[in-house]
Amino acid sequence: MIIEERSSTHVYKQKRMLSKEALAAVESLCVHEQPAYCVAACPLKLDAKALMAAVARGDWAGARGIYEKVTPFTRLLSAGCEAPCESKCRLSSLGDGIEIREIERAVARFGEKAAAKGLLRFKKKKTVALFGSGLFSIFLIGELARKAYPLTVFCAEPDLKSFMARETGFMDGEALAAETETMAALDVDFRFSTNLARMDSLRAGFDVCCASAGAARQAWPGARSDERIMMFREENLVMGCEGGVTAAAFGAKKAALTVDRLAQNLDPCNSRGEEGPCSTKLYTSTEGAERLRKVAAGPEGYDKTGAESEAGRCIQCRCEECIKGCAYLRHYHKFPRILTREIYNNVSIIMGDHMMNKPINACSLCGQCSVTCPNGYDMGEICHIARQNMVATDKMPLAPHEFALMDMLFSNGEAFLCLPQPGYEKCRYVFFPGCQASAVAPETVKAAYKDLCSRLSGGVALMLGCCGAICDWAGRYEMYGETVEFIDEKLRTLGSPEIIAGCPSCKKELSAHEGLRVRGIWELLCELGLPEGAGRFERPAALHDSCGARGDAETQRAVRRLAEMLGCRLVDTDYSGDRSPCCGYGGLTAYANPQVAREMTQSCLQRSGEPYISYCMACRDRFAREGRESRHILELVYGTAAGAPPDISRKRYNRLNLKRELLKELWGQESEKVEREYKLEFTDEALEMMDRRMILESDVYAVMDGLRETGEAVYDSETDYLIARRRLGNVTFWVKYREKEDGYVVHRAYSHRMNVVQRQG
Amino acid sequence: MEKNYYTIDPLGKLSCAKCRVPLVKGKAKFMYLDNGFPVELPVCPVCGFVYVPEELALGKVLAVEKALEDK
Ligand SMILES: [Zn+2]
Repeated sequence: MIIEERSSTHVYKQKRMLSKEALAAVESLCVHEQPAYCVAACPLKLDAKALMAAVARGDWAGARGIYEKVTPFTRLLSAGCEAPCESKCRLSSLGDGIEIREIERAVARFGEKAAAKGLLRFKKKKTVALFGSGLFSIFLIGELARKAYPLTVFCAEPDLKSFMARETGFMDGEALAAETETMAALDVDFRFSTNLARMDSLRAGFDVCCASAGAARQAWPGARSDERIMMFREENLVMGCEGGVTAAAFGAKKAALTVDRLAQNLDPCNSRGEEGPCSTKLYTSTEGAERLRKVAAGPEGYDKTGAESEAGRCIQCRCEECIKGCAYLRHYHKFPRILTREIYNNVSIIMGDHMMNKPINACSLCGQCSVTCPNGYDMGEICHIARQNMVATDKMPLAPHEFALMDMLFSNGEAFLCLPQPGYEKCRYVFFPGCQASAVAPETVKAAYKDLCSRLSGGVALMLGCCGAICDWAGRYEMYGETVEFIDEKLRTLGSPEIIAGCPSCKKELSAHEGLRVRGIWELLCELGLPEGAGRFERPAALHDSCGARGDAETQRAVRRLAEMLGCRLVDTDYSGDRSPCCGYGGLTAYANPQVAREMTQSCLQRSGEPYISYCMACRDRFAREGRESRHILELVYGTAAGAPPDISRKRYNRLNLKRELLKELWGQESEKVEREYKLEFTDEALEMMDRRMILESDVYAVMDGLRETGEAVYDSETDYLIARRRLGNVTFWVKYREKEDGYVVHRAYSHRMNVVQRQG
Repeated sequence: MEKNYYTIDPLGKLSCAKCRVPLVKGKAKFMYLDNGFPVELPVCPVCGFVYVPEELALGKVLAVEKALEDK
């Protein structure tokens, strides 16, 4: 049997994996990059979250830098800001919100100003005039000075000190002096003691003219500012507003943008971007938030230590619900929105490197994120669609999945069995244990089948094979369709019985077929009671829910009930039930990316130090391979310990042998055994190497069969090995061996996919 | 002159078990997914058996395979 490799890297097929609208809808579910609640609430767009982080780590200069992005007048702003952020703090729903404004005050007082970098800044060409004093004017000067407009300020006050004192009475003397100094350091041309009634003539010669609300009304008594763009349109005047510090600072920001637009002769209403406070769809878990009471500030506000301690209470709101539970997302350290976009782009590439193929094939498709994400983002669905798309466009490499697919063909070919219970033609039930159960624990399958036959009436057929999950996970939709048809056809020959699934993933796959009735064996065992000879497991154990049982409350409940009947004391673990992570087998991760699969397994096992009980044979196998005491619930029910995890060849042997034994024991049929004229011996080194390199004993036999036909081999005098090779399907296998009287000893084996041929000239 | 992606010399230690002659440095080509790479490998001058050493298969060959698979 052979699966066709894609023909070429030069195939120009393209198919969109999602419509642009569907992509946007999916992406919008991920709120990881949404602003924190405090940040969204601030009309000035202060990154309060970053500010808290800087203060908490004692980076006062950094904190000052963050704050100064909003305005150079930090003492003024922090003294009078109404702090709309504070009521939005996530902690305020549990206890005290962070004292953001008090921390800002501390930053304005103690944060060292970054040394001027000596950057020569070129002034803009367009000139700006500003008339009048007050809060709006001060903040607007800050904005325009930063934008490097040549700025002339006309005011009635006789000097800078009195200019700065207007509307700023809430500041203490020290703060006022400090802000006067800040203003003096800006490159602004002040014209004190100006008669503001002359505005109309004084503005001549300036490209843009601005005024405080008071000054504008002095010149034009009916002047009104359109607060969206801060303009008195009739006079083409950028005009301020009344109100407190926050309103003035926000008004100044909008006004500065209007100045930019006017200076470029553009409509001030357009291209303004998002201004002011915004909504946020962020989700943040408050689980583990500890310090819910604020640090008290003294009459002068916080000292450095107090501010650092208070800022340290900030939980740095962000949504990481998916990544917290998923080893795959942690491995690539990408959030679903970014990952989806990169996968979407990857799938659109016709020629060149597809950098995201590995992440696409590394996801276990387990659906955990669809439960942990507050908006149900299903990264597995995206990766699954991407795989199907790659198959459709001939971009899916066969290498990552070929072994698993061949294994499926083996399960549904050589190792396949489908027979009614002896004595019946049609059956009421069919037991479908799943390919991994037969591969890992054949004795358990045998015991379970015999038990079902003895305790159920109406006949229990047996079907040993693969449900098709493997080709479904691989994105091979055509092969999956064929498998569905194959299974349905076989079931019809049995009289379309109700399926008793031994594996939750099989249950899930088979339930998706039209018209099939499927039940888990665990539910049936709850009804029937434990069989004679059932084991006991009277120790604490962690129950690992199978990813195949996500959303399947019946299965999850029945397995727990069964565990209880067996005497198990189940310990609670994080991420159980619908939130359970995949063991690393799902989605063929174990084949496509053994490293990520291993991280998944380890992540599962970190939840508890107790032995693990699972109800999927793949989980059982992977946990045991990682060295943990690991039992499948059916092993306990039937008192059949499957023992150490089998290697890849043993898994095939187990399936074939189970079929042979059952055929003989129950149906009285003898199977043909392939007898070879020679014997093969494998060194331990060879066996370990073959398991790691995914080389089956049957592959080695095929090489040796070929050798005996052709006599083709190489002799290496340095190592004293003979070396034979054979191309099997898409792979060339090489075997290093030594001869002995009745056969060969295999010492090493390796393979490659490239085909090697002689060339002339 | 034709570029060879890889050259390996049999160095006299390899021989063809079938033809009983030493392998020699010969011209060969790796083919994968419709891409070809000329190489020089130990070849039997009589029957044409091309030998791919283990280090080559698991090193350079595997690396090229992986690169091409993601093209
Ligand atoms: Zn030869």
